[in-house]
Amino acid sequence: MTFWSRLRSWMNATLRRPRMESEMDAELRFHIETRAEDLVRSGVAQKEAMRRARLEFGAVERVKEEGREARGVNFLDELRRDFHYGARVLRKSPGFALVAVITLALGIGATTAIFSVVNAVLLRPLAIEDPNRVVFLEEYWQGSPGSISVGNFIDIKKQSSSYAEVSCSHNASFNLETRGIPERVDGEIATFNYFRTFGVQPIDGRVFTADEDTPGHTPVVVISERFWRTALHGDTAVIGKPIRINGLPTTVVGVMPKTFDPLLENSNLWIPAAFTPAQLADHDDHYLNAMARLKPGTAITQAQSELNVIAERLQKQFPLDDGDRSFRVRPLVTVLLGDQRLSLRMMLAAVGFLLLIACANIANLQLARSRTRQKEIAIRAALGASPNRIVRQLLAENVVLGLAGGAGGVLLAYWAVSWIVAHGPVEMPRLEESRIDASTLVFACFVALVSSFLFGLAPALRSASTRLNEVFKSASGIVSGSRDRVRSLLVVGEVALALVLMAGAGLLIRSALMVSHVDPGFDTTNVIVGRVGLPEAAYHDPTVAQHTFERIMTAAAALPGVESTAVVSRAPLAGGGSTNGLLAEGKELDLANLVNSQLQIVSTSYLSTARVPLRVGRDFTPQDTRERTLVAIVNETLARTMWPGADPIGKRFACCESGPKGRMDPVWHEVVGEVADVRTQGLDRVAQPAFYIPMAQMPAASWDWIGRTMDLVIRTRGGAVPVRDLQSTVASIAPEVPIYKLSSMQQKISSTLERSHFDTFLLAIFAGTALLLSSVGIYGVLSYMVAQRTRDIGIRVALGASQSQIVWGILGFGLRLTAIGVAIGLAAALAATRLLSSLLYGVRPSDAITFAAVSLILLAVALIASYLPARRAMRVDAIVALRYE
Amino acid sequence: MDKQLDLLQGTLDMLILKAVSLGPLHGYGVLLRIQQISKDRLEIQQGSLYPALYRLEHQGWITSEWGESDNNRRAKFYRLTAAGKRRLQTETEKWNRMADVIAGILGTKPEEV
Repeated sequence: MTFWSRLRSWMNATLRRPRMESEMDAELRFHIETRAEDLVRSGVAQKEAMRRARLEFGAVERVKEEGREARGVNFLDELRRDFHYGARVLRKSPGFALVAVITLALGIGATTAIFSVVNAVLLRPLAIEDPNRVVFLEEYWQGSPGSISVGNFIDIKKQSSSYAEVSCSHNASFNLETRGIPERVDGEIATFNYFRTFGVQPIDGRVFTADEDTPGHTPVVVISERFWRTALHGDTAVIGKPIRINGLPTTVVGVMPKTFDPLLENSNLWIPAAFTPAQLADHDDHYLNAMARLKPGTAITQAQSELNVIAERLQKQFPLDDGDRSFRVRPLVTVLLGDQRLSLRMMLAAVGFLLLIACANIANLQLARSRTRQKEIAIRAALGASPNRIVRQLLAENVVLGLAGGAGGVLLAYWAVSWIVAHGPVEMPRLEESRIDASTLVFACFVALVSSFLFGLAPALRSASTRLNEVFKSASGIVSGSRDRVRSLLVVGEVALALVLMAGAGLLIRSALMVSHVDPGFDTTNVIVGRVGLPEAAYHDPTVAQHTFERIMTAAAALPGVESTAVVSRAPLAGGGSTNGLLAEGKELDLANLVNSQLQIVSTSYLSTARVPLRVGRDFTPQDTRERTLVAIVNETLARTMWPGADPIGKRFACCESGPKGRMDPVWHEVVGEVADVRTQGLDRVAQPAFYIPMAQMPAASWDWIGRTMDLVIRTRGGAVPVRDLQSTVASIAPEVPIYKLSSMQQKISSTLERSHFDTFLLAIFAGTALLLSSVGIYGVLSYMVAQRTRDIGIRVALGASQSQIVWGILGFGLRLTAIGVAIGLAAALAATRLLSSLLYGVRPSDAITFAAVSLILLAVALIASYLPARRAMRVDAIVALRYE
Repeated sequence: MDKQLDLLQGTLDMLILKAVSLGPLHGYGVLLRIQQISKDRLEIQQGSLYPALYRLEHQGWITSEWGESDNNRRAKFYRLTAAGKRRLQTETEKWNRMADVIAGILGTKPEEV
């Protein structure tokens, strides 16, 4: 009751301040005037009565002030005054304020920018219904996860009871002609319940039905809102209209909202999977993404144990396909965003360190200032301000600083986020959604307030506990040593944090240097690559497909500036690719004896065009046709894995197809050459076993595996080949067929390194800033020390100390602080950089060279930062210093 | 007794509560009422009355509303709340006990020790 009345009265007083004031005025006026009336009635003259009434009442303003205080209004008033005072104090020392605000803006800006990226990429929920219940199913074989085969998918779907929906899809791209020119569009081939699994409805039309998801049904497609707006110009009557996909008229049945991108693949369209009976029985081709929605109340661990049982059953049922294969279920969000966590957390930790260093710096500055302000504070205390009040006032000053720094930080973050979105790695999902929004602003405010308390509280408490008599006792204000210790500790901490950041950045830089010296395994200069996919409808016949690619190669080779051309099923760094299990001749047909190896189907000109060095044996020739001995060329890693220590030439292995007597009838390929390892997955990825077979000898079925899609590889004479020429060359041979993902090999290489370079670049900037800030910290402490000890130094000089002794005294102190910081930092960095190991190539997380280098850099910078104050100390004139007192 | 007494520290609140317990009063009315009951023997700083009134209102012992005064002007009238009534009661008891004790001490004669 009383609490509420108090709160109400306080609220009334605070929120309706003007009204309270006018009421108080009226009340007091009423009192005085009524009193005067009474006096008049008792015979006093009108004018005199008013004067006496006022006199009797006393000081009206003081009464009002006490009245306000009684209502608790004063707290806010004082706070406002504290802020005013704080702002005024800061205005009076603009140098300090500027340095502090810039330092803080750097810290808060970096933190806010990285937070908004983390918020967009990791924290924001996926745009699907109840995302926590959606899981991703994978196969697990020979220690690595992989896609699921149709047969396994169907068996899991039939035999499991943990899920409300089990659906699958696989990525595909399609030739499309909607804008007059053939183009390639990314999409997915999905089962009809794919959309239901994610619980998202189309914005127009419907998704496909179970009936449409069967072989032989007239083709239908669900398109994305983005595709509808761009390619179809937002045609409102699009539902029911046909568009030509891979040469087939396909009816649009629905449009999905633009937020719908559950696998973060930027899919433009979805086509029904319509698995054929043969596909449904196939347990051997693993290419599906399987997604499921857990039934309410079913835990993911239950789903996993159910999968284990199913896996055991399938292992027995299909020993050849599923021999030692198991299944794994993980939350979809982990599968999609798990990879981003490490580097984003690293960034967040880095900016957190940066912010701490910034705070330590400002705390240092404040501590230095608090000495010069001791008198001011002592006078306030002597005039009756309570320690509480003084702390509050000093904190208010810091909050003013914090908010100003926060405002600057948000501006900086705004710019930084747009830079990150523009230059960040393309492969980071949802990065483009990063922006400064309400939640980031709240975050920035919170960071600003917390940091102002961080850097403000210690100096404020210290000032408030200042003993008055000590301050007034001596004009020079001999300050206790403990304040110096706090400042030294802050510097040590800064140096340690800076070292951790520099060690991290140093490792990444060294790793990037290592990668840049890696031999990709072929000549990457003057090579252009583009993909060409032939639609199945017109190019079903393998010989037609092969001849078409051969004609495209010949036509492209005739273009001016082209030296030679080739095709390959997956060019290096083009991403994706397929792997096969190889069985060396003489080994038992058993899953454990299979060597998983990447398959490259190539034209005979490929190895010479890409200039992959031939180690032994021969290259493919036009004579290597289907009618002759089936041949293969292996890379060094495969040769080493399959026939350790032996010459691979003439050896045979089985793969890729089975003979006329069924699956147990091996088809042998004879190794005719061995070539260098090519880093097909990226320069920072170790080469995997790989083998090449000539296009003329590829099994007919493999045209389906590769989707009749090949990379056209063009070696130029150094000049550019116009894109338009290539497009028209391909279209002149295969009408409606586009050439896409066209870029030079150098571009492909740099795009695979984009991500790690981006991480490295950001961390290097943070580390550089940290180095700068901590050297400012060292400089500040030493300059302060020199200023404070001018008299001591003067005495020492007078007593005969040499200049070098004075200089070394200061330098030694600075270096001692730095060395302690470096030692602590090294220990911390050793622990921290272990987390980076997965981001490093060719460098151990505890790389001694990196650690030594960053320590030396830090010490050198500290030496420079210490030298400036030391030089000032050297110039102290004994006479001047002593007379000064 | 001609000489007016200064108010004891902390007693003004109690007197105000008592005054408004007899009926709603405006600030000036509170002053008159206390002077009337005390037969002008107490000296009250008129100005100090208002901070006390606000404090009591802030604590919820009294509540106020605007009304019309005897001289037909708008004035703020204070009234005792239920909480204020209880407060006045306990304060009165405390005061009486204290007064007894003090009177007892002050009335002690040498032979009684």
